[in-house]
Amino acid sequence: MLELKHIVKKYDDNVILDDISLSVEDGEIISILVPSGGGKTTLLNVILGITPISSGQIVYDGTDLSGVSMQKRGFNIVFQDYALFPNLTAYQNIVYGLRNTPGISTKAEVSELISLLDLQEHVSKRISQLSGGQKQRVALARTLVMKPKILLLDEPLSALDGVIKESIKERIRRIARQYHLTTIIVTHDPEEALTLSHRVLILNGGKIAQFDTPAHIVHAPKDIFIEKFILSQLKIKRDNIYHLFQEENTGNDAAAVH
Amino acid sequence: MENERIELKCIFGLICIIFAGALCSPLIILLSKSFIGASGKLSLENYVSVLHNEEFILSLQHSFAISGLEALITVVLAFLLAYGLHYTRLPGWFKSVVQVLLILPMFLPTLTYGFAVIYSLGKQGLITQLLGQQLFSIYGFGGLLISYIIYTLPPAFILLYNAFKYVDKHFIVVSQIMGDPPLRTFYVTSVRPMIGTIAASFILSFFLSFTDFGIPASIGGQYTVVATELYMVMMGAIPDFQSGSAIAVIMLIPSVAAVWLLRFSERFNFRYNKITAFEIGRDRVRDGIFALLCVIVIMAILSVFAIMFIVPFIKSWPYQVVFTTETLQRILSDSSIKIVYINSVMVAAATAVIGTVLAYMAALVNARSHLPGICKLLMDVFAMVTNTVPGMVIGVAFLFTFTGTSLQNTFLLIILLNSIREFTTPYLMIQASLSKINLSWETTGALMGDSWAKTIFRVIIPNTMSTVFQMLSYIFVQALVTISAIVFITGARTMVMTTKITQAQYFEKYDEVFVLSLLIFLTNILVKIMFDYLANHNDIVLHIKVKRKFQGLSKKSPRSGKPARLQANVQVQEYTIKNM
Repeated sequence: MLELKHIVKKYDDNVILDDISLSVEDGEIISILVPSGGGKTTLLNVILGITPISSGQIVYDGTDLSGVSMQKRGFNIVFQDYALFPNLTAYQNIVYGLRNTPGISTKAEVSELISLLDLQEHVSKRISQLSGGQKQRVALARTLVMKPKILLLDEPLSALDGVIKESIKERIRRIARQYHLTTIIVTHDPEEALTLSHRVLILNGGKIAQFDTPAHIVHAPKDIFIEKFILSQLKIKRDNIYHLFQEENTGNDAAAVH
Repeated sequence: MENERIELKCIFGLICIIFAGALCSPLIILLSKSFIGASGKLSLENYVSVLHNEEFILSLQHSFAISGLEALITVVLAFLLAYGLHYTRLPGWFKSVVQVLLILPMFLPTLTYGFAVIYSLGKQGLITQLLGQQLFSIYGFGGLLISYIIYTLPPAFILLYNAFKYVDKHFIVVSQIMGDPPLRTFYVTSVRPMIGTIAASFILSFFLSFTDFGIPASIGGQYTVVATELYMVMMGAIPDFQSGSAIAVIMLIPSVAAVWLLRFSERFNFRYNKITAFEIGRDRVRDGIFALLCVIVIMAILSVFAIMFIVPFIKSWPYQVVFTTETLQRILSDSSIKIVYINSVMVAAATAVIGTVLAYMAALVNARSHLPGICKLLMDVFAMVTNTVPGMVIGVAFLFTFTGTSLQNTFLLIILLNSIREFTTPYLMIQASLSKINLSWETTGALMGDSWAKTIFRVIIPNTMSTVFQMLSYIFVQALVTISAIVFITGARTMVMTTKITQAQYFEKYDEVFVLSLLIFLTNILVKIMFDYLANHNDIVLHIKVKRKFQGLSKKSPRSGKPARLQANVQVQEYTIKNM
């Protein structure tokens, strides 16, 4: 179990994260929804261990990790732009970490990961030859080979084409389930957050606005900020899509009449 | 990231020590020497005596006059050539050939330019003999002017040619639709957007000829300029180090002004939001005129250098014009030539490696560290200072600093001087590459269990290899042709080809001069081709992407494989205003 206890991060007098507390169960998918410019990168860096916190505690399975370096924390991340190494092939990227910690995943585990992520045909390709979705799967595989205690995903859907977003969501859920992997998604996108995770934490001005299941957030928003800036967008989107399907239906009906 | 900090701090410290020892302290010693009079007290007497020296004042006037005139002619020529290559429908192969031939002189030491002019346009010169009469007196003003133009035309051309790429040619249509007469269209769409670059190439040409030593040393004659004056004062029969230090500092003033003016001229550069491919209209007359101009300029340059390829294969120019390989064999069998050649290549190669490592480390501090901003800024400051100080000035400073130390008369000192002098351009090249590649790689590597250094070697360096090859090639060529700086610190034991040329000239062994020039030229071409090949065939996505983008930009440009190569040159010249 991962617990953030009263995390505060400030640069001089500028408070970025203000008293953030949450706990994440093993195998749970949590999204943290941060408005643009709301400290997304800072939050990621704090959890990952790149940036030291000003006060508070990060506890994993009862151990205080607040002062532990990034390398020793054992968390891992898939960056928004994947940060794949273009001088290496897809396969060489996937097994990159094995050179440093040879036993961390067995050969069988690596090939299982590759087939789970549908990458068999692409392993010998150069990074430049991969599509956006394939790149993301390679990055995911590279990270999973390291068997992280916590998987952080930085806007996992933002760089993908609209059509494949849904299938990637399903894949992320399946991986979390299969490996019982605690997953934290940090994103600006309400749709991504609310449709992908078990629970969603909404930040506003560096403070927690609401931490709840997607259904509760949608039906019982805690404040006007969530109502206005998050739900109203989604409602417009929903209405547009409803409208689209309705029109298509009436169009078909009209065609049938003629 | 703690481990990154420790390693980068060490790199930062190392670079600071190197620059403190090999740049800052020599300059401070030079400066303080210039302010200490004969009595050993602080005084302005060196400056007073130098400024009362009529010979020096005359050479200063000469330098300003000839550099100014030369820069003016060069800029007009370079502008017309660059314009011609961009705004005509001349065939692609023709444009490529023109571009390649125009930059060829850059692979030769400036000393050679002077001798080539003497042997082409002098009394017994090749062209003089072909024409039956001498066109003009070449020793002094005329010869200097021609040599300076040949010397500064390539960098000025590259600068302007490159800038034209970023001028949106669609504005020609806009201007025509608005009813502008042709001259106004030319001004509005071609001259006005280029004003900043035109000024920059003028300053660059001026600076290059003002500070060059090789050309006036070979062809200056009685027309003294500051560079030769400084050399005479320092290395003449009665060396006068006090006056020398003052002259060196005075030489620094126009250089500082030039760098400041270059930065200032950047303000006048236009920024177009988007460059769209544009088809140039058909116009046979226009294309014909520009083709003729290109051919005349190229022929002029080639005819001057043709002699370099002829003399080594002639029995005795100009008395026995018989083809023979004897001359070449005789010179090449001279063991001292062999040693000098090996020395030179060794020095150039060592400079290339050390200079590349130095620039790479500094760029890591600047572009990929979390060190405080002041540390990053310091790297830029080093780059700016090395770019500002003329070769001869840093050479004199080295002479003052290292004479009497164990480094005196060693190749190590020459390599150190060259590496410092050629720091700016490779630094800016690699800094640009390092800031373009993904900023999360080091973090990703660390999460995969890498130490910082491991990620640098496994990921960062392989992904910037193309730039590294270009840096190596650039520094090698520069180190092989340089003369201005090292002329003060080479000794009998540490002779390199350019200093050997000066010696050969002293003993009037001109065939040796040309054989050595030819060797330098061929070595440079070989090295350049090799590294270009490596850089272009280095299967790196980023580079290919950049290349594709570039090709997309210049669809009309026919050089399929070559833009990247030219671009590298362009990049090089854009940032450097170094004399050779």
